[in-house]
Amino acid sequence: MEEDEFFGEEMFQHYCAEFIKHSQKIGDGWEWRTSKEALEPPLDDFEVTETTTATEVIKYEYHVLYSCSYQVPVLYFRASFLDGSPLALKDIWEGVHECYKTRLLHGPWDTITQQEHPILGQPFFVLHPCKTNEFMTPVLKNFQKINRNVNYITSWLSMVGPAVGLNLPLSYARAAFQDEGNVDRQDSSVEPKNLEEL
Amino acid sequence: MAEEQESALQLSPSIAAESEGPTEVSPETATPEPPSSAAVSPGTEEPAGDTKKKIDILLKAVGDTPIMKTKKWAVERTRTIQGLIDFIKKFLKLVASEQLFIYVNQSFAPSPDQEVGTLYECFGSDGKLVLHYCKSQAWG
Repeated sequence: MEEDEFFGEEMFQHYCAEFIKHSQKIGDGWEWRTSKEALEPPLDDFEVTETTTATEVIKYEYHVLYSCSYQVPVLYFRASFLDGSPLALKDIWEGVHECYKTRLLHGPWDTITQQEHPILGQPFFVLHPCKTNEFMTPVLKNFQKINRNVNYITSWLSMVGPAVGLNLPLSYARAAFQDEGNVDRQDSSVEPKNLEEL
Repeated sequence: MAEEQESALQLSPSIAAESEGPTEVSPETATPEPPSSAAVSPGTEEPAGDTKKKIDILLKAVGDTPIMKTKKWAVERTRTIQGLIDFIKKFLKLVASEQLFIYVNQSFAPSPDQEVGTLYECFGSDGKLVLHYCKSQAWG
């Protein structure tokens, strides 16, 4: 599999298929839907996770779509309370993990926007894809160097997901990259330093 | 370079144990206590020790990210990825608006609340956990 500079639709489908394989193994609920299937009332939606904040249960729903214009995957998501009422953007912000807040707050209206799901036609929140290439490239280039393949979707989702409440189980990391023999032995004789507060 | 003075600082275990949110940091570097030898882990004593409080982490830079002069660290098992990210960002003097990602297997970013001890159990080998880190402007 060649590591192109762009991420084509076929690659997207391929990596999603691999991703789904693992998802089925661990039963965490991801499904692949073609646009035709997506229009039918879903029995099981895509990944649905439930989080409790204070006394409220919030249901999150995540969809991974392919953006033809940016040629990258895009994360669509929405959240609702159990009574079905949707969360507003400001509620979503409260759910953003601390470590991302500073970065995202620099331009919230650029980074999380509300858009119509291209297939379902319903409003979703979207993590803007314009920088995806930028942060994925070093990871992919690194892999090219060591001549290995990485599942783009797994890698990408592990990076963007946590910002909006989606945490992939660690087993995906192993599934995406089977080989474990990549440990650098150069430093094994160096005494480790204590990790300390600056 | 300021990096070489880090050994003079002491890590408070209680802070490391619950690094859920941003860790408390003291901007000064002048704590003159000598490094405790008990805190340094040789990394080869007990291969599967639950009793071993610290694990060895080898940090590797990806892309254009600055390389840390000290790459090998002994870290409490309960330190979270978020805590490690904060540490590296300060060490490299990154600004708050820069994002830092940490990866296992060079490709997978564990969630910020993941403890390094768990990662070591899953992905460690040869007595250490190799983590790659990369700075980026992920959004906006």
